[in-house]
Amino acid sequence: MAGTVIGEGLTIEGDISGDEEIVIHGNLRGRLTTTDAVTVGGTAVVGADITGASLSVAGQVTGDVTASERVDIQAGGRLVGDIKAARFTIADGASFKGNVDMEV
Amino acid sequence: MTEASVIGAGTVISGHVRGQGSLEILGRVEGDVSVTGNVVIGSEGRVRGNVNGAELRIAGQVQGDLRGAIAVLLEAGARVVGDISAPRVGIAPGALARGHVQTDGEPAPAVARVPAAPARPVVPPPRIAPSPAMPPTAPKFEAKPVAVPAKVEAKAPPVPAKLEARAPLPPPPKLAPPKPEVRKPEPPRVAPAPPQAEFTPVRPLKPEPRRPPPPVVPVLSKGIKAKKKKSQD
Repeated sequence: MAGTVIGEGLTIEGDISGDEEIVIHGNLRGRLTTTDAVTVGGTAVVGADITGASLSVAGQVTGDVTASERVDIQAGGRLVGDIKAARFTIADGASFKGNVDMEV
Repeated sequence: MTEASVIGAGTVISGHVRGQGSLEILGRVEGDVSVTGNVVIGSEGRVRGNVNGAELRIAGQVQGDLRGAIAVLLEAGARVVGDISAPRVGIAPGALARGHVQTDGEPAPAVARVPAAPARPVVPPPRIAPSPAMPPTAPKFEAKPVAVPAKVEAKAPPVPAKLEARAPLPPPPKLAPPKPEVRKPEPPRVAPAPPQAEFTPVRPLKPEPRRPPPPVVPVLSKGIKAKKKKSQD
């Protein structure tokens, strides 16, 4: 029930889609689409557009993000891309570059 | 590092999955899977693509080739369409497999062969060459005793005997001369050409088919003569 876990050292080139939680500690290049939460671990390197209910970034993400609930960039996290989410937080020590669209 | 990766039952990956560590597939993968660790495909798991790993334990469906560095095990309910190759292959009752199955290739020995193989072939060529190399090396040994007579005399009693005995042996250490001589094996390759020349005489046998044509000529000649006579009249 833990959903999908991409371990460190694992590389996926392609699209991931699903309806459950996805945790990434490895590498992903392509696209990520889910209806549940997405967690990008500290060791992860993601080059993909991400769509999900929520996104938590502690690693590196390059790509546009669309979240129905919220996006959180943790300390040490790095996100480059446009964000579209109802709620958005950037922790102290995180880096971010891109546009933010918080639907009103 | 060897963190277990899981592709959940509700997840679909269309693309390649590769890397280190083990992988458990409960969902769907449309693409090749190649990992250094073990791969487990659950009963609901589906893979369309080749799967590479150490030990593959399959209870789901796979459409593609399976290669296990250690083993491939098909459990009851498994459905595999594709080739299977591993040192150990297990197919449980209730599993379906369609394709070529090969229990071959051990992972460990393959690594050991790599360093051993290149080292040995390099040695033999110099050994073959020494015998023709004798003449050039011989004069060099004569020069040494002349240039350093005093030292040779001091060691005189034992040394001269050894020099004579070693004289034939020294060539091997000098690897330089052998290289040009190694080229000699190439001329023999040219030799095969003459045999081809020998085969050419076989072609003269074809004159036999030429014999039938001659009868055709007289037939023509008869007609020609008759026409000539009539034309002359």
